[in-house]
Amino acid sequence: MMRGVLPWCAILSSFVLLGAAPVAKIQELLARPKVLCGRFDQNKQLVGLKKPVKSNGRFCIVADKGVLWRTLQPFPNTVRLTRDEIVQLQGERVAFRLSAKEEPTVRVINQVMFALLAGHLGELEKLFEIDGSVYQNSWNVTLNAREPAVAKAVGKIALDGGEYVKNVTIDHTSGDRTSIVFSALQSGTDAMTADEAALF
Amino acid sequence: MNRRNLLAGFWGLVVFLLLSHSAYLWLGQRIAPDTDILALLPAQQQDPVLQQSFSRMAEAAQQRLIVVVGASEWAAARRAADAYRAVLKSREDLIQLNDGVMDQTFSDGLAQFQRHRVVLLTARDEAALRGQSNEYWVNVALTKLYSPFGGGQAVAWQDDPFGLFSGWVQARAQETPVRPRDGRLYVGDGRLEYVVLPITLRAPAFSLAAQQSVMSLLAQAQSVAQNIAPDAEVVVGGVMVHAAAAGEQARWELSVIGFGSILGIVLLIWLAFRSLKPIVLVMLSIAVGCLGALSASWLLFDRLHLLTLVFGASLIGGAQDYGIYFLCNRVAADAQLDSWQLLRRLLPPLLLTLITTVIGYMGLALTPFPGLRQIAVFSVLGLVFAWLTVVCWFPVLVRSDTLTKIRLANWYVGSLARWPLLGRDRRTLVVAIVFAAVAIFGGSRLGISDDIRLLQNPSKSLLDDQIKLTRLLDLPTPAQFYLVRGASAEAVLQREEALKQRLDPLIERRIISGYHATSNWIPSAHAQVARIQLIQQKVLNDGGPLAVLAARIGEGDQWVTATRERFRTSELPVLLDDFLKSPTSEPWRYLWIGQVDAGYASIVAVKGLSKPGLPILEGAAAGLDGVRWVDAVGAISTVLGRYRHYMGWVVVFSYIAVYGLLYPRYRGATWRVVAPTALASIATLALLGITGQSLQLFHVLALMLILGVGVDYGIFLQEPGARRDPIAWLAVVLSALSTLLSFGLLSLSKTPALQAFGVTMLIGTTAVWLLVPCFDDYQVEKTRGL
Repeated sequence: MMRGVLPWCAILSSFVLLGAAPVAKIQELLARPKVLCGRFDQNKQLVGLKKPVKSNGRFCIVADKGVLWRTLQPFPNTVRLTRDEIVQLQGERVAFRLSAKEEPTVRVINQVMFALLAGHLGELEKLFEIDGSVYQNSWNVTLNAREPAVAKAVGKIALDGGEYVKNVTIDHTSGDRTSIVFSALQSGTDAMTADEAALF
Repeated sequence: MNRRNLLAGFWGLVVFLLLSHSAYLWLGQRIAPDTDILALLPAQQQDPVLQQSFSRMAEAAQQRLIVVVGASEWAAARRAADAYRAVLKSREDLIQLNDGVMDQTFSDGLAQFQRHRVVLLTARDEAALRGQSNEYWVNVALTKLYSPFGGGQAVAWQDDPFGLFSGWVQARAQETPVRPRDGRLYVGDGRLEYVVLPITLRAPAFSLAAQQSVMSLLAQAQSVAQNIAPDAEVVVGGVMVHAAAAGEQARWELSVIGFGSILGIVLLIWLAFRSLKPIVLVMLSIAVGCLGALSASWLLFDRLHLLTLVFGASLIGGAQDYGIYFLCNRVAADAQLDSWQLLRRLLPPLLLTLITTVIGYMGLALTPFPGLRQIAVFSVLGLVFAWLTVVCWFPVLVRSDTLTKIRLANWYVGSLARWPLLGRDRRTLVVAIVFAAVAIFGGSRLGISDDIRLLQNPSKSLLDDQIKLTRLLDLPTPAQFYLVRGASAEAVLQREEALKQRLDPLIERRIISGYHATSNWIPSAHAQVARIQLIQQKVLNDGGPLAVLAARIGEGDQWVTATRERFRTSELPVLLDDFLKSPTSEPWRYLWIGQVDAGYASIVAVKGLSKPGLPILEGAAAGLDGVRWVDAVGAISTVLGRYRHYMGWVVVFSYIAVYGLLYPRYRGATWRVVAPTALASIATLALLGITGQSLQLFHVLALMLILGVGVDYGIFLQEPGARRDPIAWLAVVLSALSTLLSFGLLSLSKTPALQAFGVTMLIGTTAVWLLVPCFDDYQVEKTRGL
């Protein structure tokens, strides 16, 4: 059960999203592989909870296809984003499915994603104001949604990285905070495991 | 003599007043005819609340236009839409663009609902709360907790750990597929990406002037947009688009029928009399008739429908009969006979023809359609004014030496002698048997049709656009909906909820795609209390999902208590009045009719409806108190059908009435006056059947008018004057030809109702014309004598 689609847009975007601060410069630094997989470690600090909520798993981004986000610990859960739908899997079972037909924003999210992967950063700049800096081979940016409604739902996003994105931090308007660290990044056709490929 | 001049002078004064009033209306007030097609439809007199719900739906629609600008690439669609928008922006006096506010309003509106989140649940979650285990809800919360995508919302996780409120928000957002995107409104169909531009008209939708300005503005905007993105697709929908198309068509028909009739009549009279004077005289009577009809109708109705004028244009064919009859008889009469003496002789038949025609038009006035009533009154007034002009002025204007008989007229009259006549012979019997056989055959093949499309028949491209927009924007159907009534607002909301329980399975079965209802936003107080209890019993209870969840995430009793407290502070009841006042409710306000007569009422609108689903939806209301399925399309068809039936009987009784009216004058020959018209009507029905037409109200109404017009010809031929000099035949020929001309032109109308009327008049009048001389007993005697 997954609610609120607008935030997805921002978070997914933020993941590969490399702002326009010196957009051209960052674009030069970034590798643009067809397939990118790796490990993520997520740390959520939620209002009212004493301890941070930690989880980790694997993710894959495939150009022209979409995104696979697999939480492995402590609560297995897979989310798959393709052009026309968002699907949540628990094991093999589809726990939740939202198609673009029901929720038109789904397609926008995915188009934004694909635009990002293809390096169409100009397109993203229309959704977010991008602010940041580049130092040698690393960079960091903050994103602020241009639409007040998106900003309200998403909050503020910060990214940093080099050849790839390394950290994503989201400060939600509600006070909750999510930070994700990426590691063990692999690109190329064999980056994806067989069962991951099967999930697409 | 003095008294006669006084009469003519008095009529001159009346005509002067008419002229001044008309000049004042057209030049001073700049009146324009009405184009609202709904004005033609009957009011639901038996149920004012129902009528109110209809007009509520109509009002919600009529001052709005919706434009979508699409292209295969979002960027191209956006560029085209921006160009389109810029053109519209230049005329803010005409239209107002509504695309800026929605996004802001929606998110602000949701903030307003947060304080009430415990009472806002989707039906699916409500059912899941009753049916699902603790484990299910703990899973939901944990998924939301660990998912990177599930947590980033305006509502903190701890305020909505089970996603109940978020689910409701999502469901509300999905009531429309339109979404904000890049500062515009967006919708897509998988093929093209569209920018949506909702427009509110500042000028009345049914004003001809406004229609012209808005339509040309839209056309200009479209060409600018397509200049920028050549493959851009622009679809415009709204009541005004239909009204403008219908108005354009009616205006064209008005001029064709009007000018066509006048031209034809001028030609006919010229051929008959070879003189300019009778043309001027007949035109004079027609002009006074039209002016009188216009002025008096305006005084009576305060407005005139464009279709009244279209139909009224065919009046020209009827109004000239009296003048022609007078002129023909003047030609035939002795030169010694003074025109006033002639009039005295002609007055009884003239009066009878007027009364029978008026009876014919009264048939239209008896229907519940305001438009038809207006047409009937307009036509009767026109005829009366034309008639009075003939009676008051013609004897003064036409002296015995004004006209001379000419050869063509003689030829017409001569043809009467060669006309086949009915008698007690074998030929008549054979003809009668053949006629009866054809009539029975044709009658048996005559189907019936009461389709609403008789009244309005938009072009295919307009209809396609409408269907496309309805699908793309997932709009509810405006003509079919549920009307929910109750003693109080609370009762109405509860009844809506009972109805929705029956509609939800229909969504699963894909009979409808969804519904709009006030109770989607504001549950009844009863449901709100029930939900608070449900959440306390199934979520916040000891050992329930919240307690299990706390253990799973390593939080203690303190967290559980704090979270329970949070739920409790957002249990505030959400109130209908607050909602209706907030900007969020703007698109939904039309659903709430509010206080009516002795209670409250609301509309539940359905989406994605198809024809086979209609009986199922009607059935869904069965047995629910205060819920009524309203099918405006079906209701109008029922009314059309009922009146087709009813008017059929009125036609039959009118024949009896006309017979009674004529009997004192024609005695044993009365049947000769009425029979040709009756037989012509039967022949018309048979011909309609043979050509595969379906009988509809407007055929029957035309039969009524054929009675009025056709009996005139019978009267002309049965008059004593006709026996001495068959010049009356010339009057019949001229009258029939001009009637044929004007109604024949009406049969060119694109409005199926007018077309049916025209076709029936065309066939019927021709048949009467051909039949009338067959029933002339003077001729019978003459042939016998030979």
